[in-house]
Amino acid sequence: MRDDDTPQDALGGSPAPGPALAMVEAFAHAAGSIARHVAGGATGFKGVLLHIHVAPGASYEMEELQEAQCVAGRGIVGDRYYEGSGTYSPKPDTREVTLIEQEALDALARNDPPLQGGPIALAPGDHRRNLTVRGVPLNHLVGRRFRVGDVILRGGRLNFPCKYLEELLGLQVYLPLYNRSGLNCGIERGGVIRPGDAIELLDDDGA
Amino acid sequence: MTARVVMKLRVEAARLATPGVLHLTLVHASRPELPAWEPGAHVDLRLPDGRIRQYSLCGDPQDRRTYQIAIKREDAGRGASRWAHDALVEGAVAHVSAPRNNFPIREAARHVFVLGGIGVTPGLPMAHSLAAEGADVAVHFCARSAADAPLLAELSAACGDRLSTWFSAEGRRFDPRAVGPYCEGACLYVCGPQRLLDAVRDAADALGWPETSIHAEAFQATLDENFKPEPFEAKLASTGATLHVPADRSLLEVLRDHGVTMPSSCELGVCGSCVCGYRDGVVIHRDAVISVADRQDRIAPCVSRARVSVTLDL
Repeated sequence: MRDDDTPQDALGGSPAPGPALAMVEAFAHAAGSIARHVAGGATGFKGVLLHIHVAPGASYEMEELQEAQCVAGRGIVGDRYYEGSGTYSPKPDTREVTLIEQEALDALARNDPPLQGGPIALAPGDHRRNLTVRGVPLNHLVGRRFRVGDVILRGGRLNFPCKYLEELLGLQVYLPLYNRSGLNCGIERGGVIRPGDAIELLDDDGA
Repeated sequence: MTARVVMKLRVEAARLATPGVLHLTLVHASRPELPAWEPGAHVDLRLPDGRIRQYSLCGDPQDRRTYQIAIKREDAGRGASRWAHDALVEGAVAHVSAPRNNFPIREAARHVFVLGGIGVTPGLPMAHSLAAEGADVAVHFCARSAADAPLLAELSAACGDRLSTWFSAEGRRFDPRAVGPYCEGACLYVCGPQRLLDAVRDAADALGWPETSIHAEAFQATLDENFKPEPFEAKLASTGATLHVPADRSLLEVLRDHGVTMPSSCELGVCGSCVCGYRDGVVIHRDAVISVADRQDRIAPCVSRARVSVTLDL
């Protein structure tokens, strides 16, 4: 062990960055642009940010952060989609920040609905979404603005489970996550977020 | 084949198993348990330049806390092993994939292993597991000398009198006929340098071992310096699209260019990540992972090509 006892990353911390970004602004996304003009959905909720996870490259394990820098139009510093090295980075889409509901993970863990072989317990970050939230109706937030602490996000489209995630985890999560796989967002106003930050709907004034 | 998560693992211990073989014990920084694996499995080690190398897990699958790999220093190689020997010191962090297994223990009445040098790595946990179950196992371990035989003590402890050692510098060069005549239900595993694989295949063939009873593990694509790639057309069964594959590009690269994203890892034809199906066409198989029987309808697009055209099940 070296004197300073700090693990020395043999690759200098991160894999090489990928090609140029192909990020689609959330309200320009096919889903978000339409939903913006459709009224309805939950209001008045007050949710909370539970966990922040980033992965330094495609297929890399997610790592939990105690605070994260969000950059408007780009993503979370240190994440594969910020770096352009994600599995889906070459494909134009809205994926600056992804969110998932703790309530959906809780349902998986109690096998509700019983569409899979049994309860599915995902360790924090194994779902590969950036932000785990509680008390936030993510499926209502396509085309909506909301804040996480001081950061403002725009819901661009519903997240969709992928077979790639099943392969990485070795778990059949595709069907169980269907329609509760979370939300892909753009960042309207960047800043620092931390677990415990409040999450609230915003009026559609700044968009 | 499937995608595998990449983990940052800390080198808990690094020692020289022989003067040229680095033995590493890897642990996760935060998880008490690493993904489970079966004997014969390997992990991908990421290099700083983006290349990937495969190393068999040579520890105990019951030990979920650590992975153990052994890396032979190949001074004539392309630098991967030299980098690993120099950079992966105790406390260093290595980028390592979850395991996958292309070399599993087969259902067999008798298991015969021929392991050459660093080829001991997948064989050790396989033989250990079979011996512990009381299976009928025989292990031949070939090296220049006992001092050059990595993990000899571990293999000996696992196999006891089921182990035969062959040390050429001590006047006991391996005779491939030692695998003995084929008996019904037997299975032959060979892991080591290509010339050992070739010699064992020839001897086994002469002793009546059917092709399907022989399983070889070579973490090196078949070397074929005379191969001259030719352009060909690849048709996608799902869309009917025809893609032109020029002589200087791989089928995998051309698929990627056209938005067909395939999982891939070694891009040397050894890991099997990118293997897909094909329907018609004459395929020039250049991989080291697809079995002879499966070559009728499976192709490794990272290295394999086609004569004139091929239709892919994509």
